[in-house]
Amino acid sequence: MESEMKRLWLSAAFVLFCGALTFAKDPEQYYKTAEVKHYTKLEGIELSLTFTDYLYAELRAQLTKAKIFGRVVSEGEVVDDADVPSSIVLNGQLVEFKKGNLAKEVIIGFSSGYRRLKLDTVVTNRGDGATLFTLHTQVRTPPNRTEQLMAKAAADAIAHELRDAMKKEREKK
Amino acid sequence: MRPAYRPRVLVSFAFFLLLPVTAFADDDPKPKPENTIVIRASQPVTAQKFARAFTILITDVSDRSGNPQPMLVYRPRGGIFVDRMPTEVLRDSLQDSLKQAGLLARDKDSADLTAKVYVFKFGLAPGSGLDFFGSVEFAVVLKNTKTGATQEVRAAGTSIANAAVLKKNIQKNVRENLETALGDALTNFFRGAQLRDAVKNLLAAPEKPAGAAENPQGEMAAKIKRGEDRKWRVK
Repeated sequence: MESEMKRLWLSAAFVLFCGALTFAKDPEQYYKTAEVKHYTKLEGIELSLTFTDYLYAELRAQLTKAKIFGRVVSEGEVVDDADVPSSIVLNGQLVEFKKGNLAKEVIIGFSSGYRRLKLDTVVTNRGDGATLFTLHTQVRTPPNRTEQLMAKAAADAIAHELRDAMKKEREKK
Repeated sequence: MRPAYRPRVLVSFAFFLLLPVTAFADDDPKPKPENTIVIRASQPVTAQKFARAFTILITDVSDRSGNPQPMLVYRPRGGIFVDRMPTEVLRDSLQDSLKQAGLLARDKDSADLTAKVYVFKFGLAPGSGLDFFGSVEFAVVLKNTKTGATQEVRAAGTSIANAAVLKKNIQKNVRENLETALGDALTNFFRGAQLRDAVKNLLAAPEKPAGAAENPQGEMAAKIKRGEDRKWRVK
């Protein structure tokens, strides 16, 4: 009786393991390379230069983590000729930044007084320069957090939006 | 008659006087074997293919970061130091990659190009607090040994690694982070469009005798020597 139970548990565990292996899917690779460029700032946006540096680094890290590209190359890096048609370039701009208000956040709450950053990202094909996607991203963070934390949230949002856009495009085809 | 509690009062008074002194005492970290890490580029960089074969000699590597303690990469909790100066780390890494690509010249006479390297950033930059943000930035001024023409190539590498709580893990993460950032910067340099264009321009330029740039020839150069161009400058 005991050995039968043991066998039953083992076979159940085996079936579960096989099922997990079947359904576990490697993330799909949409393009061979993706080049991220430093985001430019519109006039009047009061964010430091280190913000764009950090956003660039964080975006590269997030895109690498998402595993939707074969390689995330740095700005200005050359790509093998064979990979050029299947490569994209991310150009972006910081469009709007509201500093937020700590007093408002403390007194009113409900995320009023939060910092707000709007970014536009244009994704183009490296080969012909055709625009593939245009992403409009908005992030909101508490006013007492650092700029870097906002950059982290922005990079995370951009990576998610890009993955969703690519997925939708693939499904349409 | 002296009260019996006087010494105790004095001791506690001294303790409270010394407390802020110890709190604000200079706790500059010192390099020790247990807080020193060895930095090597994370992986050998494969250089891009160039149209023409050439060799480079690294003549000089200078620190332009303005950091008074370039070897101290992490200050809190006893600090973390790198084993060598960033200039030495970068020189070795560049030479290793050049050697692997077959681009390293043996001496100045056999070199097509000489390189002066300026290090702008090497270490951790301010991050979000949840991670370590490693950043390496440098510029290489390439000079054609025959024509004397120069061109600058900039490279930057970044890396973001998770923060840690334990000292041992902090050291490990900082080391990995710096090595990845260094590797990224080297990749950016060796596989960058800037290097490709610089090499193309420098090696394609018509060969002039050395020092030609310092002693320009021609009518305009003669005018400049005589000072006749001043009237144009005034206008």
